[in-house]
Amino acid sequence: MRRRALAAAGVAAGLALLLPATAAAHGLVGKQDLPIPRWLFAWGAAGVLIVSFVALATLWPSPRLQELRERAVWRVPGARALEVLGGAIGVVVFAVVVYAGLAGSQSPQENLAPTFIYYVFWVGIPFLSFLVGDVFRLFNPWRAIARAVAWAATRIAGRGALPEPLEYPRALGRWPAAIGILAFAWVELVYVDRDDPSTLAIMALAYAAVQLVGMSLYGIDPWLRNADPFGVTFSLLSRLAPLRWHDGRLLARRPLAGIVGLDPRPGTVALVCVMIGTTSFDGFSMGTVWNDVAPDLQRVFMDLGIGAETALQIAFTIGLVAMVLLVAALYRLGVEGMRTVGEAHSARELAGAFAHTLVPIALAYLVAHYFSALTYQAQAMAYLISDPLGDGSNLFGTASASIDYGWISANAIWYVQVGALIVGHVCGLILAHDRALALYRDVRAATRSQYWMLVVMVGFTSLGLWLLSAASQ
Amino acid sequence: MSGPVLAHIGHWWTSILYVAPVVVVVVWLALQSWRAKRRDPERR
Repeated sequence: MRRRALAAAGVAAGLALLLPATAAAHGLVGKQDLPIPRWLFAWGAAGVLIVSFVALATLWPSPRLQELRERAVWRVPGARALEVLGGAIGVVVFAVVVYAGLAGSQSPQENLAPTFIYYVFWVGIPFLSFLVGDVFRLFNPWRAIARAVAWAATRIAGRGALPEPLEYPRALGRWPAAIGILAFAWVELVYVDRDDPSTLAIMALAYAAVQLVGMSLYGIDPWLRNADPFGVTFSLLSRLAPLRWHDGRLLARRPLAGIVGLDPRPGTVALVCVMIGTTSFDGFSMGTVWNDVAPDLQRVFMDLGIGAETALQIAFTIGLVAMVLLVAALYRLGVEGMRTVGEAHSARELAGAFAHTLVPIALAYLVAHYFSALTYQAQAMAYLISDPLGDGSNLFGTASASIDYGWISANAIWYVQVGALIVGHVCGLILAHDRALALYRDVRAATRSQYWMLVVMVGFTSLGLWLLSAASQ
Repeated sequence: MSGPVLAHIGHWWTSILYVAPVVVVVVWLALQSWRAKRRDPERR
């Protein structure tokens, strides 16, 4: 078993080397003037993780996070009305984005739809989620429409007259969410028409239709908890927040405590691996290694008689899937390492029990990768909200606003990215250590079980910094 | 295959430096386990 784990470590390290790295593709990074080489940051980050690991082993002898304690800090006045208002805002925004995509200028820079979907929605909401909780649930337009339809149908047909929803298949778990996020990443990173506003609008409509059908079949909450890719992803990240909105109350809890109670139903590990792997590929695809490999891979498919554009998309699809599999392999390495401790925990059980430890890493990759994009591209919203169709209108008097690329230095962006990666991985270590203490018979066994998890965390950190570095060159 | 890889070596050799921390940790863990096994041959 130990030999297998060592072999897996070698393979994973080799793959990580061949498939270098990831974290700033969509980032717009200026020229950095760093006092030390970038690779030294990776060494420093690894040092921080090793010191943290030793400190946890000596100073954290019993589980502290396994029990969730929350306290109400604020009762939201008019919570019901606020929920209706939030849903209505979500529906209006969704309608405006779709309309802009269909009826506006088809230039991605002039149209509201691409910037809103890729930066405000896909990047902005995760940032908000880990700061203030699950805000998307409040504004989720598909949830709002489904709830409005259910309310109207109940009023018309009478309570109890409507058929009960089907039971959501337990075996499916979060798999639809994992597949959905992979599909979205494919559109964002591989599809040639990814920036085409009308194509994005049609996809948004199709997505909404699938969500509405799913909710009508399986019920609103069971569907949203398992199968709405964005809803599930944002909800997962919001578990890291120190705040939770529930039943008209704002609850406070210790940082990281919310993620500990994550139910490891089927598809959970896959979803987190997809989140990390797709973000990684975004950075990797901007680096020199992929740009050396991709044309050769494209040529292989062109030699089979496939057109150049399709061949390139196939090559990128292979890269995307390979990166997700690499992340899954690294996690599997940590799980196999834990099994060497000798207690009778199956790989499946351990994979589920430690799945939550990957969530801060997914968030760290997201912050590291998209921070610069968010700081710059989100500014474009200032003029896009005044001219969402790109037809020269000036609804709010901000159509002449522009993006200030000088408000934050390239060095500051780099330090935020490195800091996010280090903090995210230290949080992952803390969560893994605490869970190991709850699972294993003593501190010694728990610490030994985490040796390979440490390898995984150092591997993810190095991979993340490698990707950042590759995309910054 | 090695031809193109070596031709692009200037692009990726610094990448090896990013793998070094992983290798160091793996070697350290392997060493620890070897020492533990020597002390207690009964242990797996």
